[in-house]
Amino acid sequence: MKIRAEISKGDEIRYISHLDYSRAIERALRRAQLPLAYSEGFNPHVKLSFASALAVGITSQSEFMDLELTKTMNIDTIKSCLEPQLPAGINLIRCQQIYNNAAKLMAVVNLACYKVFFSELSGHEQLEKSIHKFNFSDNLLFVRENPKGKKQIDVKEYVQEICCNFYPYGLELSFDTKITPSGSIKPGEVLQALDHHYDLNLPLDDALICRTGLFIEKGTKRMSPFDLIGEK
Amino acid sequence: MSKVIVPSALLNRVVKPSRYTGQEWNTIVKEQSKVDVSFALAFPDVYEVGMSYLGYKILYHILNGRQEVAAERVYAPWVDMEEQMRNSNIPLFSLESFRPLGEFDFVGFTLQYEMSYSNILNMLDLGGIPLLACDRNETQSFVVGGGPCVYNPEPLADFFDIFLIGEAEELILEIVDCYKQWKQSGRSGGRAGFLKEAALIEGVYVPSCYDVNYNADGTVMSIGLTSKDIKPQVHKRVIKDLETVDFPTRPVVPFGEIVHDRIMLEIFRGCTRGCRFCQAGMIYRPVRERKVDTLVELAQQLVNNTGYNEISLVSLSTADYSCLHPLITALMSRMKEQGVSVSLPSLRIDSFSIQLAQEVQQVRKSGLTFAPEAGTQRLRDVINKGVNEDNLRDAVCAAFRAGWSSVKLYFMIGLPTEEDDDIRGIAKLAYQVLDWYKEVKGRRGAKVTVSVSSFVPKPHTPFQWFGQDSIEQLERKQHLLRDMLKNRDINFNWHDAKTSFLEGVFARGDRRLGKVLLKAWSTGARFDGWSEQFDYENWLTAFAECNIDPHFYANRERQEQEIMPWSHIQPGVEKKFLWREYQQALKQELTADCRRGDCGACGVCSGLGVGIIDWGNE
Ligand code: SF4
Repeated sequence: MKIRAEISKGDEIRYISHLDYSRAIERALRRAQLPLAYSEGFNPHVKLSFASALAVGITSQSEFMDLELTKTMNIDTIKSCLEPQLPAGINLIRCQQIYNNAAKLMAVVNLACYKVFFSELSGHEQLEKSIHKFNFSDNLLFVRENPKGKKQIDVKEYVQEICCNFYPYGLELSFDTKITPSGSIKPGEVLQALDHHYDLNLPLDDALICRTGLFIEKGTKRMSPFDLIGEK
Repeated sequence: MSKVIVPSALLNRVVKPSRYTGQEWNTIVKEQSKVDVSFALAFPDVYEVGMSYLGYKILYHILNGRQEVAAERVYAPWVDMEEQMRNSNIPLFSLESFRPLGEFDFVGFTLQYEMSYSNILNMLDLGGIPLLACDRNETQSFVVGGGPCVYNPEPLADFFDIFLIGEAEELILEIVDCYKQWKQSGRSGGRAGFLKEAALIEGVYVPSCYDVNYNADGTVMSIGLTSKDIKPQVHKRVIKDLETVDFPTRPVVPFGEIVHDRIMLEIFRGCTRGCRFCQAGMIYRPVRERKVDTLVELAQQLVNNTGYNEISLVSLSTADYSCLHPLITALMSRMKEQGVSVSLPSLRIDSFSIQLAQEVQQVRKSGLTFAPEAGTQRLRDVINKGVNEDNLRDAVCAAFRAGWSSVKLYFMIGLPTEEDDDIRGIAKLAYQVLDWYKEVKGRRGAKVTVSVSSFVPKPHTPFQWFGQDSIEQLERKQHLLRDMLKNRDINFNWHDAKTSFLEGVFARGDRRLGKVLLKAWSTGARFDGWSEQFDYENWLTAFAECNIDPHFYANRERQEQEIMPWSHIQPGVEKKFLWREYQQALKQELTADCRRGDCGACGVCSGLGVGIIDWGNE
C-alpha cells in the first residue's frame, strides 16, 4: 500500500538538514511500528521519498512524502499510530492512499512557494524599488558558488515576481520558485542575488525563510500533489 | 530562572546549528517549579561526540528518573559558535531548559580524555562560573567530575568541588540526596558545609579536603587530610550486579548524525584480560555480565522507543561475552523482520569472531579491525596481549576467505622495553598480511591499514612507573615505519607525538599543573584533541611561564616507593599487584585472564566486596 503525506517542518527544527529531517521521519515511522516496506540489498532502506529537499535554516508549512507499507491499513489508523511518534516540529497535516500509477513526487512537483521575513530592516524604499525593477526586468544573472565550482544562472528563469509586504513588526517577501528538470534556485540564493545586484546590504543572516507550499503547475493550473494520486 | 534565546541570525552563521537547538526525541524537559535539584551533564567536546557517550545516557535516565531532579545536557560549542556567543554575550546553556550553565545546582563534567581539559575551563567560563573552586560563592554551582580520568583528577583539583570515583548510578543519587538535606537544613555550614558532608560518602573525593606536600625533587612527599573524619583513601564505587541498576531505554535521539548513531547496548562491564598498558582493563574490574534475556528485552524496548535500526553491542571486548552466540542469535531472529541490524564493535582477534561478524552481516566497506598492539611476540608478551601470530593468521585468513579484503591493524609504539626490532616487526606483520591474502586468494588485492598510536602510560596500570618515550624518540620510530611501509597496498597513519606527550603529562600530573592549564586556556587553548585546533607552542609557553617542566611528568621513570599524586584514589587494584605485573612484564611473563581462570589477586574482588559475574561460569 502506498501513502502520500503532507507534513511540516517547524521552527523547533529549523536548523536540521534535509537528511536529518528524513531520518527523523524514518525513525518516527519505525517507532510507530507501521509495516514498512524496505528496499532490497545489503543496506535496506525504508521506501520513503520526498518531493523536494529543504535546506538548513528553512521551515516549511507543506512538505510531501510518499511511503510504502507491506500491508493495507486504514488511513486513520496510520495517522493515529504515527502522530504520537513525531518529534517536535513535525506535524502530520494530511495523509492519503495513492496508487501504483501515481507519478513520483520528485518528478511532478515543479513549484515551491516561499515567504521571507526580516524583523529589522532599514532602507525600505530602496528595497521596494529594486523589487519593482526585478519584477519588470527580463533577467538577473547570479553566480552560484559551491565546492564544485562557479556557475552562472538567471534568477528570472526560476522566479517571475516577488511581492513585498510591510508590517509594523517587519517586512515580508514572498515569491514562487520553479523546480525544473535541470535545476532550481534556493530562496537564499534569490536573496543573495537581489542583495548583490541592487546593492541592498540586506541582513541576510536575519532572514527567516519558510516554504509555504509545493505545487504542480501545468499552464495556468496549479494542483496539489493530492490531486494526482493515480487510479486503483 | 533565565532562558537563553539564541538569535537566528547567529545560528545562521555557524556550522551545524542544530547542535545548539535541542528538541530531540526523548528529551526530558521538566517544569522548573517542580524541580528541587538541577544537574547539568556537561560534556567537554562537541555535540556529536558528547551525544555518543553511554555514561551520560545512563545518568540522564537515572537522574531524571527522580521527579524532583532535572538533568540536562550541555556540550562544548565549536569555535565558531563560541565566537558568536562571546560577541553577543550569550552564556553557555543547556539543551533542555536553555538555562545558563551557572544556574544549575550541579555542573557535572565527564573526564574522558586529558586533551579535553582546556574545554572544561572554557565551558565554565562561558557558563558564568568562576574557574577556581575557591572563588565560587554560596549561590554558585558545585562543579563535579567523573569518568575514567578521575582516577587521577589532580591536575583538575583547583577547578572542581567534587569528584565521583567509579560507577555513578547509585552514587549520583546519594550526592543529590545529600544536597537536598543540606538545602533543607538552610545550607548549614555554607558551601564548605555541604562539601564536608559529601566527602563522607563512599566514592566521593573532595580535593579541597586534602593537602599535597612535595619533596625538593618535585615528587609528592605526602597527601594530608584537612580534618580527621576525611578518608585517607577514596575507594571507587562499583555496581555489584548490573541487573540491579536501570539501563536507559529512552535515550535522546539526535537529529544530526553523531559519532555512534545507533543503539548502544552495554552487555557487560570490566575486562580482565589484563593488558598491561590498558587503564580501562584495570579501573573497570571486575567483569560483570548482563543476562541474555535482560539484553534482548532491553534491545526491544530501545528499538521501540528510539526508532533506530542498528544495535551495537558494547563493552570493553565484546567477543568475551560468555553468551555472545546465543545473544546474537536471539537478537537477530527477533530484529530481522523489524529491519534492525546488530553490529559488533571492537572485536578481538580470533576466527570465532570472524564467524560472528559474518553472521551479523556486518560486511561494511570499512573492513575488519585487529589490534595486535605490538609487532613482535616478545613485546606482546611484555604487554600481556595474549595473541600470537598464529591467532592473527587464522583470523585474517578466515576473514579473507569470508570475502573481506581490507584489514586494519592497530599498534602502539613507545611501549616498555621496545627496540627497533619490535618496530620492524610491525612492518613485517603488515607485509605478512598481504602475503596471507595471496596464499588464500591466489592473487594480490588486499589493502592493509596500519594505524599506530603512541603509548601513554596511565595511572593505576602496571606501566604507571614507566617513563614515556620522548617526542623525538616517537617521531624517529614513526619515520622508521613510514620508510618501511611505503607500499601501494599499505596505508600508514600515526598519531601526533606532541599530543601524546601532553596527554602523558596530564595523565600522570599533579595539582601544580592546574596553573599551567589555566594559563594555556587563557592564551587560547581549547579543543586540544582536534589537530586543527591544537597549538603545541602555546602549551610550551604556558609551561615555561609557570616554571614547570612537563618532562618531569611524562618522561621520568618513577621509583617503586614513590608516592604517586593519585595514590589516595583507589580503583581497588592494588599497588603491589601493579608492581608485580610490571616486573612480570620486564621478564616477558604472562598473567592469565581471571574471568574464567585463576584469580590473579589484583585486590578488587576482596577489597571492594564484589565478584566476577560471567554466565559462562554457571
Ligand atoms: S580479584 Fe582476582 S578475580 Fe577479581 S578481578 Fe582481580 S584478579 Fe580477577
